[in-house]
Amino acid sequence: MGLGPSTKETSLHHFRDPLVSVLSNDSDIDFVGIIVVGTPQDNRMKHFVGGRVAAWLEAMRVDGAIISCDGWGNNDIDFANTIEEVGKRGIPIVGLNFIGTIAQFVVTNKYMDCIIDFNKSAEGIETQVVGENNITQLDARKALAFLKLKIRKGESS
Amino acid sequence: MMNDVLRRLVIRAFHITNVEFAKKASVKGSTLNISREILSEIIAGEELVIDMTVSVIKPGETRVETNTIMDIIPVSTKVLGRLGEGITHTLTGAVVVLTGCDQDGRQMHEFGSSEGILAEHIIFGRAGTPAETDFIIHVDVLLKGGQPFNRALPTAAFRSCDRFMQTIREAMKTNEAGEAGEIHEFFDRAGTGKKKVALIKQVSGQGAMYDNLLFPDEPSGYDGGISIIDVQNVPLILSPNEYRDGAIRAMD
Repeated sequence: MGLGPSTKETSLHHFRDPLVSVLSNDSDIDFVGIIVVGTPQDNRMKHFVGGRVAAWLEAMRVDGAIISCDGWGNNDIDFANTIEEVGKRGIPIVGLNFIGTIAQFVVTNKYMDCIIDFNKSAEGIETQVVGENNITQLDARKALAFLKLKIRKGESS
Repeated sequence: MMNDVLRRLVIRAFHITNVEFAKKASVKGSTLNISREILSEIIAGEELVIDMTVSVIKPGETRVETNTIMDIIPVSTKVLGRLGEGITHTLTGAVVVLTGCDQDGRQMHEFGSSEGILAEHIIFGRAGTPAETDFIIHVDVLLKGGQPFNRALPTAAFRSCDRFMQTIREAMKTNEAGEAGEIHEFFDRAGTGKKKVALIKQVSGQGAMYDNLLFPDEPSGYDGGISIIDVQNVPLILSPNEYRDGAIRAMD
């Protein structure tokens, strides 16, 4: 399990969230909303909540989704599982995660083909510096650009 | 194609260039007055809180020793409507930094901590951190020692900090709209006919210092908030305006 000082998303981060700001200000898309999902302890619940996220997206008939994760290690299991559930339903999805050198994915699957690493520490590690390994506007713009590509690719295939 | 406005949110930002201590919290022009009066009452009402201090760290004076950073919180309040619509007042130029430890010297964190010289433990100017030019209202909470590290302990610190912040919020409710430095208007829209995109925010919900509150009564507040743990971590849907109006209070 891991959520250290540098990957912590503060209340101020949520208030000024770069992902919400980038998605709201892009004139090519209809930003329908934010699904907030937690990270349960046990595996049965992890699979349950991931499946529910995918069901919501399917019911909303979205063309694509972006998922971000505020911790690493144990939280990667939830992250990978939710991406798989969404991917299986044919919905293009792009992820943002802290990876660096110490947080390589514990589990992976074929739908995790477009993941942006928002590590910013020189050594690629969790640090004791608040804000260091946080998502910035640039990360958010990258994620949306990749999602647009993925949506387009899905349409042409 | 239809382009319906579902709801409108106005955020008025009041820029602060000076923070002073006074008998009562108030905003006078660009000066924020804060008060320590309520602290003894907060401490008396919290079994797990032994002490609580509030100090002001001026821009450029961040080489001070602090306990681990538990959260960085914007000071915002609803003046009209509920979270996600109506009018919100917020401060720019000043944010709250909450730090804490217990009487045994145990830092309030789960996985690595940020105690030490503040300037060395913050990257300034990120979305979630103060700018170098911001005033920091530093709230430090000393919690009771010898306790199990469960949700009750850090939660007592978050709640106490929020009670103090409410004194500032109450004062901000009567700020004159004309004094706002910036006014931002946000719309939730539907039916634009464009590609529909949703954002999934995976947040921590495993236990003590792995928690997040949703839909508090005040933006980025505590009271009335629903813990993601208590709703079994199941997904909840927020409109963009609800989210940007402080619907999430980080407790991780």
